[in-house]
Amino acid sequence: METVRRASRVWFFLGISLVATLALFPLFRPPVYFLSFLFQIFLYISIASAWNLIGGYAGYLSFGHVAFFGIGAYATAMLSNAFDLSSVGTLLSSIPAGLVAAVFAAIVGYPCLRLRGPYFAVVTLCFAFVVELAVKNLGFLGGPDGLWLKGMALPIAVSRSIFYELMLVLMLITVGVSVWVGKSKFGAGLRAIKEDEEVAQTMAINAPWLKLKAFALSAFFPGVAGGLYAYYLTYIHPDIVFEVNISILVVLMALFGGGASWLGPLVGAASLTVINESLTTFVKAEWARIIYGCLFIVVIIFMPNGLIEFFSSRAEHSQTEPEAHPSGS
Amino acid sequence: MNSVLIIQSLIGGIMMGAIYALLGVGFSLTWGVMKVIHISHAAFGLAGAYIAYVLLNWWGMDPVASLVVTTPFLFVVACAAYRILILPITRSKEVIVSSMILTFGIAIILENLLLLIWGPAPKLLTPSYITDVVKVGPFYFQYPWVVGFVMSIVGVLVVHLLLKKTYTGKAVRASWQQPESSQLYGINLKRISMITFGIAVATAGAGGVGLAMIYSFEPHAHNLWLIYLFLVVIVGGVGNVLGTALAGLVIGIITGLSLAFLPYQWVNLITFGLLIVILVVRPHGLFQSEV
Repeated sequence: METVRRASRVWFFLGISLVATLALFPLFRPPVYFLSFLFQIFLYISIASAWNLIGGYAGYLSFGHVAFFGIGAYATAMLSNAFDLSSVGTLLSSIPAGLVAAVFAAIVGYPCLRLRGPYFAVVTLCFAFVVELAVKNLGFLGGPDGLWLKGMALPIAVSRSIFYELMLVLMLITVGVSVWVGKSKFGAGLRAIKEDEEVAQTMAINAPWLKLKAFALSAFFPGVAGGLYAYYLTYIHPDIVFEVNISILVVLMALFGGGASWLGPLVGAASLTVINESLTTFVKAEWARIIYGCLFIVVIIFMPNGLIEFFSSRAEHSQTEPEAHPSGS
Repeated sequence: MNSVLIIQSLIGGIMMGAIYALLGVGFSLTWGVMKVIHISHAAFGLAGAYIAYVLLNWWGMDPVASLVVTTPFLFVVACAAYRILILPITRSKEVIVSSMILTFGIAIILENLLLLIWGPAPKLLTPSYITDVVKVGPFYFQYPWVVGFVMSIVGVLVVHLLLKKTYTGKAVRASWQQPESSQLYGINLKRISMITFGIAVATAGAGGVGLAMIYSFEPHAHNLWLIYLFLVVIVGGVGNVLGTALAGLVIGIITGLSLAFLPYQWVNLITFGLLIVILVVRPHGLFQSEV
């Protein structure tokens, strides 16, 4: 017991120092490439962690989360252009943009969350397509031309550092919410829904309400991330912010790491982004994608519950084995 | 609007829908019988189209005749894929989730292999009759469309009869209704699942050739095909062969009609919106599911 507590204290200390190092990283004036690369990792971690609230805890695989990302991006762009906001205002407007995404999620989720399993997955995927097509065809949203935002009047290294720090904060908040939900009664309810929804309802768990809350919450953070991303790019287009592959990638990231805990999406998103980036840097694009596909197959066959569970059960085995002998310790 | 044009567009839609039905039948079977959502189904169909393309351009083999080569080849490949890849995951607790990710990986691999071999440029099947037209009354039909349509109807009927009349087909249906007790009656579930998967992928190849007859295709095309597959299968009811065929026709009619009245970019919007509505209102399909 004492060793467990000490081990968790060590992990906590390591986590804090990692976050501190990441926060101070821009002060060392690294090349802008590394800032952008880490920005991308934070972005994916925050979307995957948010997705995990509904997909991992409650077991409702949403393949449409890119829609919320895109809605957040467009909401920020519209707010910024409509009210002619300053830089700070545009950055802050990503929060109402997240709320807009959450409202959309609530409206869509109310009828769709009654569907289970693959049906829910398909309906959310279709929702993402419908939103993309609608945005492409609506003139006031820029249609197929996309929308421009005013860029920051700052040198690129500084503006990239600002985005980097903001995305880091958003990621920390998202992961924090994920940890909190995982430990709270809310999370326990969601897990009960994943195990068996009928039984959960007989245990006085208000399943529809919990699912709706989790879905709206898991749409909020991608919305905020989309808002920041829109200002980061200063130009948004339906093909960029509603790219369906982002949706699928997020699902894969969360499940790759393991959806049962908050750590899974974090590790999954970070490792898949790093693998993808290094593959596309060093290998021809088609081969990189083929290796990427093989990776999914290998992971599913050999570690069906994700990286985290695979390694933690290994670690447990190696720890419990010596204890089997009473003479030990 | 000219009524001839509307009917023409309607019939074009029905033909297209029938081809999607042939593509969707196998998808429906793997989903219904094996509880495997086969994301790479459309990618295998695309592979079938590319094989037909090669056979046509190298040896001048007619696309329909090339099915004699394509379908057995895909059947064998699929059986091997089942043994090596799908079988290990069918025992896991969440078959649906793991099968989706696994077959998504297969789809990525297939897509990029096609991209490596044939490059990103769109291809077109050009049999000798590509410019021929059948004239019935005031309506004109392009010959490739008619061939693809007839091929699909025959294909769906063959699968239907295979399931209803042959021993293997009856075993497939039995193992779907009662996996445990069918084994008690001497059905080898693994072998039946392998054959189901093989048949499914073989029909995907035929459907892919059918779609290649009417549209041009490129390595990324399978993503849009996949959406239509989901549409056809869910509207028809999972595992229901004739339901899938009817759903293909219904969707064809809707697409054909909306093509006649709306600009092209709104058609997909209508189709996907419709799928959402159908899913929410009748999640188990429009037609009574009969095994």
